[in-house]
This record gives sequence, C-alpha cells and structure tokens, in this order.
Amino acid sequence: MSTRRESRLRAFAAKVRGFLCGRRRDGEFDDEMQEHLQLLAEKFAAQGMSREDATAAARRQFGNTTLLQEDRRGLQTFSSVEALWRDLRFGLRTLRKNPGFTAIAVLTLALGIGANTTIFSWIHSVLLNSLPGAGQPERVVELESLATSGEWVPTSYLDFRDFRDHLKLVESMSVAQPMALAVGNDVGVERVWSETVSGNFFDVLRVKPEIGRFFSGVERDDAQNAHAVAVISHSFWHSHYNESASAIGAILRVNRTPYTVIGVAPNGFHGSMAGLSFDLWVPATMYGQLTSTGTWMLKDRKNRMFRVLARLAPGATVEQARSELASVAGFMAKADADTNQGMSATLLPVWKAHYGIQGSLLAPLTILFGASGVVLLIVCANIANLLLVRSADRRKEFSIRVALGASPMRLVRQLSTEVLMLATLGSVAGLLIAGWLGGSLRWLLPLTEAPQLQSGAQGGSVLVFTAGLAVAVAALAGIGSALHATRNNVSETLKESGRSGTSGTQSNRLRSLLVTSEVALAVTALIGAGLFVKSFYRVKSIQPGFEPNQVAIAKFNLSAANVDAQQADAFCRQLRERLERQPGVTAVTYADYVPLSLGEGSWEDLQVEGYVPGPSENMKIYRNLVAPGYFELMKIPLIEGRDFTMQDDSSHPPVMIVTTEFVRRFIPHGGVLNRRVFGWGQWFTIVGVVQDSKIHRLTENTRPYFYVPIRQIYRPEMGLAFYLRTLGSVSEAMQSIRRESQGLDAMVPATGVMPLNEWIAGSLFGQRIAASLLSVLAAIAFVLASIGLYGMVAYTVAQRTQEFGIRLSLGAQPREVLGLIVKQGLRFALAGTAVGVALAVLLGRVLGSFLVNMSATDPLIFTGAAVFVILLALVAAAIPARKAMRVDPIVALRYE
Amino acid sequence: MMDTKKSEVLQGTLDLMILKTLHALGPLHGFGIARRIEQVSRDVLQLNEGTVYTSLLRLQQQGWIAAAWGTSEHNRKAKFYSITKRGEKQLQVEAENWERIADVISRVLKLEAERES
Repeated sequence: MSTRRESRLRAFAAKVRGFLCGRRRDGEFDDEMQEHLQLLAEKFAAQGMSREDATAAARRQFGNTTLLQEDRRGLQTFSSVEALWRDLRFGLRTLRKNPGFTAIAVLTLALGIGANTTIFSWIHSVLLNSLPGAGQPERVVELESLATSGEWVPTSYLDFRDFRDHLKLVESMSVAQPMALAVGNDVGVERVWSETVSGNFFDVLRVKPEIGRFFSGVERDDAQNAHAVAVISHSFWHSHYNESASAIGAILRVNRTPYTVIGVAPNGFHGSMAGLSFDLWVPATMYGQLTSTGTWMLKDRKNRMFRVLARLAPGATVEQARSELASVAGFMAKADADTNQGMSATLLPVWKAHYGIQGSLLAPLTILFGASGVVLLIVCANIANLLLVRSADRRKEFSIRVALGASPMRLVRQLSTEVLMLATLGSVAGLLIAGWLGGSLRWLLPLTEAPQLQSGAQGGSVLVFTAGLAVAVAALAGIGSALHATRNNVSETLKESGRSGTSGTQSNRLRSLLVTSEVALAVTALIGAGLFVKSFYRVKSIQPGFEPNQVAIAKFNLSAANVDAQQADAFCRQLRERLERQPGVTAVTYADYVPLSLGEGSWEDLQVEGYVPGPSENMKIYRNLVAPGYFELMKIPLIEGRDFTMQDDSSHPPVMIVTTEFVRRFIPHGGVLNRRVFGWGQWFTIVGVVQDSKIHRLTENTRPYFYVPIRQIYRPEMGLAFYLRTLGSVSEAMQSIRRESQGLDAMVPATGVMPLNEWIAGSLFGQRIAASLLSVLAAIAFVLASIGLYGMVAYTVAQRTQEFGIRLSLGAQPREVLGLIVKQGLRFALAGTAVGVALAVLLGRVLGSFLVNMSATDPLIFTGAAVFVILLALVAAAIPARKAMRVDPIVALRYE
Repeated sequence: MMDTKKSEVLQGTLDLMILKTLHALGPLHGFGIARRIEQVSRDVLQLNEGTVYTSLLRLQQQGWIAAAWGTSEHNRKAKFYSITKRGEKQLQVEAENWERIADVISRVLKLEAERES
C-alpha cells in the first residue's frame, strides 16, 4: 500500500497539471458524462420507457453533473484560487452591468474613506509619528517645568543643566528651542527656521548625519558663544548646496555672524517638533551671540525659555523617570528657593506636550476623528442597504445557483468578493481624495508665523490604515446581505418566480434598522455640528475690548538682524515717522506683543506697594511693552492718569499703566496713581489706568494686566509688532509697511503682515476648525442618510406597486396611498431622531467642555436638528410616494 | 434536488469495486463499469453513476488505473480504463483490508445479536 504522504503528493501533482490545462479537461469530462447519460437513456428506452421518461430517469440515476464537475475540479485543480479568479471576473461583470449602483456605492465609500484617511494622516503626522526620522522615538519624552499654579512653563538653562546632570533614569537630554534666524549676506537675508539645541541633540533623537558630523567634543560643553557651527537639513543642503559634499566646511552667515557648516541631517528628519520642519540647528550655547544679549540669558534661573527633550535610560519607564524628576525638582525648589520655590517638573509623551502644534490640535483632531467615524458608519449602513436591496433583487439568481448545487458558502464568498471589490475601488478613490487634501493640515493652523509644515504623510501606515478600513467597511456592509443570501429558501423563491412580490420580512426588518440608525447618526452629527457652530459664533461675538477694524499689523524679528537695544529703538522711531507720513494713516504705534496671540505672552513677577499676596498667590502678571499712542490707536479707554510719552525712556524714571482688573485686585482702596510697583529689579510708578481687554484668547476670564513703556524695558530678542490705523484700505496700509521697512533696513524684513481682525480670527482657529469641518462632515452624514431613507421608501413603493394598484382600484383615494408611504418614511425618521437625540445628549457630556457660553443640550439646536431631519424625511418619502399615488391600477395589475 | 447523495456508497468502497471490476473484466469504459456494478449489486446498492467518474479520476491520479481513448461496442469513441500493476497491488492490499474490517464488523454485530437473544 502506498503511504499516505505519497498519495497526497500524487494528488498534488495532478492538481498542478490540471491547473495548467483546466479548460480542456472540463470538456473531456463533460463529453464522457454526456456519453454515459445517452447510453443510459437508450438503455431505459429499450426497456420500453418513452424518450422523455428515459432521459429523466437517466439523469436521476446519474446525479448532478454540475456538482460532479465541481468535485472533479476540486480533485484536479486548486479550487480556491480558481474560484477567486472566477468570483472576481463575475463580480466585475455584475458591477459593470449596474453602473448606477456601482457609481453610488463607490462615491459614497470614497467620501467616507477619504474623510477618515485624511484625518488619520493629520493625526499620524501630528500625534502618532511626531518625531519622523528619529530612532526609537517612543523612548523620547518632553520635560516640562511646572509653575506654582501647576501650569506648564518652559525651562531655564540652569534648571536644564541641573536636570541633565542629576537624572539617572534619563539617558540623554537636550534643549530644543525653535527660532527664526536670518541667513545670508548684506545683499539679502532669508528667514530660516532653526532649532537651538544642546550638543547631544542628535544623540537624544538617535539620528546619524547624511554627511559630515554632528556637534562633538568641546562643542557640547556649556561655554557660551564659543562654537559657531551649524548643521543643515537635507532640503537646505539640496536647495543651497545642490547636495554637494563641499557644503561641509562652508561658511553660513547667521544673524550677521559666520558659522561653519559641519554636517547635514538625513533626508526625512525635520527636527524635533511634530508636523513642523526646521532647516538649521545651532548650539544653544550660541544663544547670547545670536540675540546680541551677551551671556545673561543662560545664566538666569528665572529666564525660563527652553523646551527640553529627554531620552529615557534603557529599562526605565516614564513613571519611574517622572518620579525621579519630581524629587530632583523638589530638591531644586528648596536649594534655589529665590527662583524655584513651589516649582516642579514632569515628563510627557511628545504628542501630549504643550509646546508646539500638537497641543492645540489634539482636541480638534480627536473630535474630527470621531465625527468622521460616524460618517463612515453611515456610509456602511448605506452600502449595506444598497446591497440588501440588490440581493433581494438577485434572489432569483441565488436560488437558481443553489438549485444547481452551489453551496451557501459559495454564495457568501461571491458576495464578499463583490463587496470587497467595491470597498477597494472606494478606498482607491478615497486615497486620491486624501492625497489631494494631504497638505490641507495648514488650513487648520492659525495665521501666525510658524515654520513650514511637513507635507502630509501618505506613508505605509496611512495605506495600512486605509486597507484596514476597506476590509472593515466590507465586513460591516456585506454581512447583512451575505447572511440574507444564505437563508434564502430555494423552492419558495422559485415558486414566486412569476411575481416580484415583497421581499422577506427579515431583510425588511434589517433594512429598517439600518435606515433608522443612519437617521440617528445623522441627527447626532447635525446636533454636534450645530453646537460647535453656535459656540463659534458665541465666541466671535465676544468683544475683545479694543477696536481691531481698519488696523494693519506687522511683526519684525530684530534679533535676527543682530541689532542692539539702541539700534532697535532708532529703527522703531524712524519707521514710525515714515509710516505716519503715509496717506490715510491716522495713527502708528508699536509694542512687543499682539493681543490674542496663541502664545502665552510674557509675564513679570510683581510686588505691589501696599498689597500683601496670599501664601501661594501667583504674582506673575502678564504684561505688554507699548509705545506712546497704543491705547488711542487700539481705542482702549484711558480711565485716569496719562498715556506714555516719548520721554518715558531708559533715562527717565520707570512708569507703568495698569488695567481696571489690576486695580480691583491689588489696589482696591484707591490711591492708584503714583503708587509704586516692583519688577525687573526696579520700582515703577503707576501713571495711568486703562480699561480691561482680552489678552490671550477671547474666552479667557479677565485677568490683571499691565503696560510698560517699550523704550524703558525693550531688548531686541523680544517681539516687535507695528500697528497702523488707516482711513483707507487695510491692504494698502500693509503694502506701505512692507515698502517702508524694506526701505529703512533691508536686513529687517516685515513678517506676518496682516489685518488685525484676521489675526484675531486666527486666535479662534480651534473653534473655527471644529465648527467648519464638523459642519462639512454633518452635511455629508445628512445627505447620505437622506439618500438611504429615500432609497428605502422608493424601494418599498416599487415592491408594493401591485398592492397600491389593487387598493386604488378598490376605491382608495390617492391621498390615502400617499399617506401610507409618508407615514412609513416618517416612522423611520421619528425613531431615528429619537435615538439620535439620545446619543447627542450622551455626546454632549463629553463635548461640553469644548463649548463656550452655552449648554451642551442647547434646546434650539436640538429642536432645529430634529425638525430639519423630519422635514427632510418627509421630502425623501414624498417623492416616491407621489409616484405611488399616480399608479394606474390597470398598469399596476398588469405590471407582473 | 440536493439530497440525492443518500445512496452514496461507503467512502472508499467504490474505488475498491472499480479496481476489482477492472481487474476481473479487463479494460472497460465508465458506462460498462456502472453496468457491471449494477449487475453484481442487483438492487442492494443504489449508485449515483456520476460518482464513478470522480472515482475513476481519483484512481487515475494515484496511478492505479490508466485511461486510453478507444472505440466502444456501439462504435463510438469512448475512454477505456484498465488496471495498472500498481493498481493490482493496491487491489490486493485493499481487498485484504476490507475483508479484515468486514470480518471484525460482522463479529461485532453478532456479539450484539447474542446479547439480544
């Protein structure tokens, strides 16, 4: 007896042979069987049967030839591969034969998958892959100092050094501070976004140079302003040095100082901030030289300005490192009590860190991802519905196939192949949409100055995500119709063959459920979008406390031009004079900060004469440095005292203007003017009080705030913004700022020139994204649900045409028939709305914290959305219902 | 209809019957084999004759029978199957095997009968 393995081997060899020449064998086998049948029939005929009986008897005795063929194929070829190929071809044919169905299904899928893929690629580039190009990025964490209030603050260089030298659970640690640097010669400079970093920055991120080397040896020590060396990015290397090796050793003029290029970062490495790309890295120890501030900035423990990255030591967990850090920070809070009392520090995953765009995008992106998931669910329900309708229409086809011997699994496989094909087509279209929207992340960002965004990642993980989505959608959408097909009762269906009758109650119930949940999801999406839109308008209508219309602003980066305080002052005064001469200009002023910037601005630790702060009271008060005329230009009312004048400069006694909230909190018992306030190591005299205005965001509570003359405190490393109020057009004013500043000093380019009201709109960007994108998603959800509802009602009408014919011929009024249909549509709409409202209430609990000045169960939005959906449901039902009403009884009865 | 498989011969036994038939009668075509089995089994076995062909295919794949095109007694083109040397050996093995099993089964059945009596 041959062994089992040998016999299997022979069967396999036969299969390979069969697979290679399948068609011919099909024919041969068939011939043989036909021959047999004929002989059998002849035999029976010879026994006296009629020809027909003989043939039938022969067939009975022989058995099912199709099944036998299948068995033979199973023996002779690899049936699964062959079946898949056949399913694919058959599926393609069916899809081509129903172009309408295919187009709708693919478009719907493309919308759903495109939306999800786009948002996933945003999330991927901002949150998931926040350190592209870095090795083992999951071991890199961000270190944040915590102020007494528990709020995060940047870290001072001295604190950084202490952390670096004392933490054992952290392998390496680097500062990484974004900074715009002016690169170029006297003829022209360009602004290059750079990071000032510690010598071991590239070790922390585990990056190897493309060519050259990274910072090494003495360049890594803490000696200030000693190492003028720079690393450039791959794209900078490409655009400036044509990827030539001679770039190493080249001299680059950075902020008017020559730097030597020592290395090129590899392609795909963009620096240490999620979503942003940087082109230049210089040692942080050069900070004083870059900003012409000497050496004090890195020597002042109070000067908290650095972002810090750390790589965990092997085996250490974030929790362990965090508690070690907390104890070191606690020790420092005692040892350096004058500056660090009450302060602490913590470690956060990079995607959770506050510095950078991920902090402000985390919430909106999460909400959007949820909303696009809802849209995808509706898409699934819609596709499932379409498939169910179609499988009801194809019941006869399925029954015949089952009668001919197809197993139920075979049908399920066929249907799954078709759904998967649809999902694949939809995904390809969706990927196209997502690719087209890939760079759209920048729409989400406020109109502030920021480094260039990395182009949207369409890498492997996005493709994997989309493929997974396609399979999930196919499974979700296809399961109903597949189950339905297997439950098909053959003889019942074939008996019905003459009539198109109503489809099974089971499938109808499933479809009603699908339509109802679609409506429910659409209502939820609509309410969600409504809440965010209303919240957005609520925020927009908040008065900022100053008058932003007819004002243009422009920012200047004086530190990049490497000027000292005196040169900066001269620049400001000359530019002001030039701008005041422009036609239509009514006022010009400047300050170091523009209100409603998303950055938190600067604060100073104050002591107010006669006020004793509570034991843990935060006396770090935010401030602005302004030139004379600021309040008049901004139309911030001066309540008492005087404005600053040009005489309030460094040679005159320091003065200060405070806000009404400042007075209410610190000087509640009168005598505000001439009271003294201590800050920056000197006493200021209060000379005026102005009305409160919004400082950081429109939604903030009023906080104490104060102003100091820019000429008394200013240093070039601070910000500088010019304000220009005009009677003419704001864009003309913007033109003149650009022109005049260029004429004054080509080394100090104006950046971020824009109307002040646009700047303020930028501060609303979080709310704006949520409101506008959610509206788009809700609209998609809504359209899809309407299509679903319409399809459901239209299909029922088509099925019941005969019934309506009978009703009408028996004397029913067309109006009654209309009512019948509309009532059915309304039932879905009402049930769906009820569920949707309940879902929205649950959702409101989660989203409530994102809404401003309103409740998450705003009755107007809820009622509005419900009424809107029900009205639309009526329309969606009425269109097919009118058709039913007009049914001609005679035609309907003959219709079969 | 789907359930005509009820008369299917015990798995594997059809192969044995075909081998034996070819061994006894020499080269035959499918129809001839079916007739011979019908004749021998009378009405005891109801054979779905189509399965003869899948069985023939299986035997062929194992190299126990060979097929060649020839002309039938009705002067029609037909495929004639004949047993190979390997098939003869296999027949012997399978026949012995079958007898052993049949013997065991009949003894088991007798056991049952004794208890009942």
